[in-house]
Amino acid sequence: MTVADSRERAARRTARRRSRIPTLFGLAGGLIVGILVCGAVFAPWLAPYDPTERVARPFLFPSSEHLLGTNDIGQDLLSEMIFGARVSLTIGIVAAAVALLIGTTVGVVAGYYPKRLGSAMMRGVDVILILPFLPLLIVLAAYLGRSLLNTILVIGVLIWAEPARIIRSQVLSLRSREYVLAARSMGAPDRWTILRHIVPRTGLLATGSFVRAVSNAILLEAALSFLGLGDPIQKSWGSTLFWAQSRGAFLTPAWKWWVLPPGLLIMLASLGFALIAFSLEERINPRL
Amino acid sequence: MTTMRRFASSKALTLVLMLGLMAAACGGEDTSSEEVSAAQAQAATAQSEAAAAQSEAESAQAEAEAAASALAQAQADLEAAQAAASAAMEGDEASQSALADAQAALEEAEQRAAATAEASEEAVAAAESALAEAEQMLDEAMMEQEAAAGPVTVRAAITGDEATLNPYTYISGFPGWNLLMLQYDSLMQLDAAGIPQPWLADTVSVNADLTEYSFTMVEGVTWHDGQPLTAHDVDFSVDYYINNVEASRFARDLRGVEDLVVTGDYSATFVLGSPKAGFELAALADIPIIPRHVWEGVEVPSEHDFGATNIGTGPYKLVEYVEGQSYRFEANPDYFRGAPAVEELVVIVFADDAGAQAAIRTGEVDVIFERIPPEQIPLLDAQDPLDIALGPEFTTQMINYDASKRPFDDVAVRQAINLAMDRQDIVDTVFLGAATVGSPGWIHPEHRSYNPSMIPVYDPAAANALLDAAGYVDGDGDGVREFDGQPMSFEIITNAPDSLRLRIAELTVEMLAAIGIETSVAAVETGTWEQAVWPEFNVNNGRNYDIAMWGWSAPVQADPLRLPQLVASIPMGGFLNLTGYASAEMDALSAALPVESTEAGRIAILLRMQEIIAEELPFVLLLYPDGAYVYDSSVYSDWEFIAGQGIVSKLSLLPPSARP
Repeated sequence: MTVADSRERAARRTARRRSRIPTLFGLAGGLIVGILVCGAVFAPWLAPYDPTERVARPFLFPSSEHLLGTNDIGQDLLSEMIFGARVSLTIGIVAAAVALLIGTTVGVVAGYYPKRLGSAMMRGVDVILILPFLPLLIVLAAYLGRSLLNTILVIGVLIWAEPARIIRSQVLSLRSREYVLAARSMGAPDRWTILRHIVPRTGLLATGSFVRAVSNAILLEAALSFLGLGDPIQKSWGSTLFWAQSRGAFLTPAWKWWVLPPGLLIMLASLGFALIAFSLEERINPRL
Repeated sequence: MTTMRRFASSKALTLVLMLGLMAAACGGEDTSSEEVSAAQAQAATAQSEAAAAQSEAESAQAEAEAAASALAQAQADLEAAQAAASAAMEGDEASQSALADAQAALEEAEQRAAATAEASEEAVAAAESALAEAEQMLDEAMMEQEAAAGPVTVRAAITGDEATLNPYTYISGFPGWNLLMLQYDSLMQLDAAGIPQPWLADTVSVNADLTEYSFTMVEGVTWHDGQPLTAHDVDFSVDYYINNVEASRFARDLRGVEDLVVTGDYSATFVLGSPKAGFELAALADIPIIPRHVWEGVEVPSEHDFGATNIGTGPYKLVEYVEGQSYRFEANPDYFRGAPAVEELVVIVFADDAGAQAAIRTGEVDVIFERIPPEQIPLLDAQDPLDIALGPEFTTQMINYDASKRPFDDVAVRQAINLAMDRQDIVDTVFLGAATVGSPGWIHPEHRSYNPSMIPVYDPAAANALLDAAGYVDGDGDGVREFDGQPMSFEIITNAPDSLRLRIAELTVEMLAAIGIETSVAAVETGTWEQAVWPEFNVNNGRNYDIAMWGWSAPVQADPLRLPQLVASIPMGGFLNLTGYASAEMDALSAALPVESTEAGRIAILLRMQEIIAEELPFVLLLYPDGAYVYDSSVYSDWEFIAGQGIVSKLSLLPPSARP
């Protein structure tokens, strides 16, 4: 065994160890997201009560019958948390999908036609990235009005710029690969080249962006709902916080069971997706 | 999470900024009058104690002097005795014993004198220190009193900006109008029972057919700039309001005024085109009198720059306004009813109720000029210096529907909705009992015009039967009734920032579902909601809603003679008739009410109108939230609750002797 040999082995070992951490993070993220998604899917069986029904006196403290007490009109808060996962995760995932759709389209087109069209589009992306984000979000949400669909649209429309940039840079490098050049020089139409050779190769990167976008969208939904700009009738974690705030729970002992649980759930959901995104990025782009 | 925290922190930052500003505005903390008077009393006792000690010391000194003179006497005695003894050299027994006696007496006298001197010295020292202490306490009390010599500053919280607070710029009916009226006066003023009493007017009299209201004015009232107030200012104000109708409720108050005849510098007569009962409450106690010398030539009052302050006759001058942040009112020491009890009133604009409540909990403000939400009443009351002022209020929570179109033009549908509403449930659930169940006849049970036979009935079975009988049946079995081939499915529009109203809307959805009417809540911005229900604040523009949650501010109900505005058909003067309701009998009664000359006759008409409202339901009144205001009793506690209006009025800030 030579010195060089052992050195090599040691290097390999550290590399392996290093690569194990992201995998662990990914597993943890997957576990968190898995539990939350299960909670959302099986909500009707898990939740002790119908969250839209007034089942007890308002402002009840936690008890064995209502583990997290009741809200301001006597709805069970635990059930509200469980059913809230449905709205919060749905908005997060659908809004991220909207963002990805816009982002991929813009990214691919701008990357494939980098000259005039591309640079014009990227200036648009720059504008979106430069705009102060939260005020814009609030103005848009207030202008469009409160509904589930509007919340999804507002969030989707605001977070597509980042995926667009990432995907464009990938497309820029893809379009100068030999097989793409070969296809083009043989007279393949652009649309065919894009759909056959470009888009499939951005898939992995897009997946990473998507998961990261979900994490963002969940936070944004919570922020909007908390500010009363979501639909306050929809039972999401953010709207639970809105009601807690507007009925004074932040000023009373009720914050422990009315403010903390939705806050923790929002944090967990966002963290879960962020961990998955982190480990995916390690895989896709090991230089990071 | 970061996003949320960013929001929270920006909110917190605003709050901190506001609090900082407020602290700066308030300067050093002033002591309350109680504290000062307590200190004064303490100083007084100390002083009298010191005086007692001094007199004690004096008497001790006198005693000591007496002892000293006794000593001198004894010494003289001794000397005499010694002389006698030496004279009687042979020393007979008697003189010997006399000498011994004298010596003993001298010793005794010497001892006594020493003891007394010591005691008197002690007493003097004690008296001196007591005196010094008393002086020090007195000084402190004086200093405190001086610090509070602009005696009390009260810091109040409101939850929305009210612009520059002149009669054309104030924003909300409450508390905007109430803050406006701290600077201005009207000819009459509501007393605690909500009944108008002469104010700037000395006497008010009305002729038999209710067309001429004559008044004489208090003489010697001056504007904030020192100019005298005369009947010519009243004349000018009335003309001004009538000729500048933009966004002013005062022009509405003065409808029907043909002329104001000035009969002297301090007397005038309103001449009305038609008899009008209740002109006192509707106009005389509502319109602020503005100074002719300031307002003359003002063309667009809402945009005119009146300089640093508004000139009124009221007990307070607005001395500082920071847009969106705060107002500072200074007492008018020359106020004609006597100087206000509160020297300075700082009104701080908070972003929301929660901010205001947090501020009063931590002592950053002393009173909140908004009703506090029901869930906070027991919590705030439990905190030590905080107290709650509770009373009936005439604001309302109600359901409006467009009664001019299908299916709400059918009385049966409106009656069914009325029967389906469990008002007690809403009061208990949403207001935790801190509200009064709504009378179906509109007028509050605590109001003097209330018709006691108006009992709300909750009977969903009867409501279902009513709808069945009227032909609104669920033909396709989906649980929703149909009308004219369409499902009875509507949107309930409400303003999202009012969370209690939003909750009432949610409960309404539930209750209407029980009678086969499907509804969903649309929570929108306040502007959007107003635009749908009351486009441009003009009922002639129609309505763009099916069902809406609505509420009127207190003055609409406080004056029962305004009822025609709500229920008369639109061409007949129903300019608050937001539901498009029309009824011939109601129109006739609405026309008769203002020309009825006797109080009994007016009450009779009002009772009948309530019956018709309960029967035909131009709207469904759900409840009247009770007024609850929180204040810090260690700062100021003389708040006057005007029935139906709450505590925000000049009465609260004037000394009790100046209140009507």
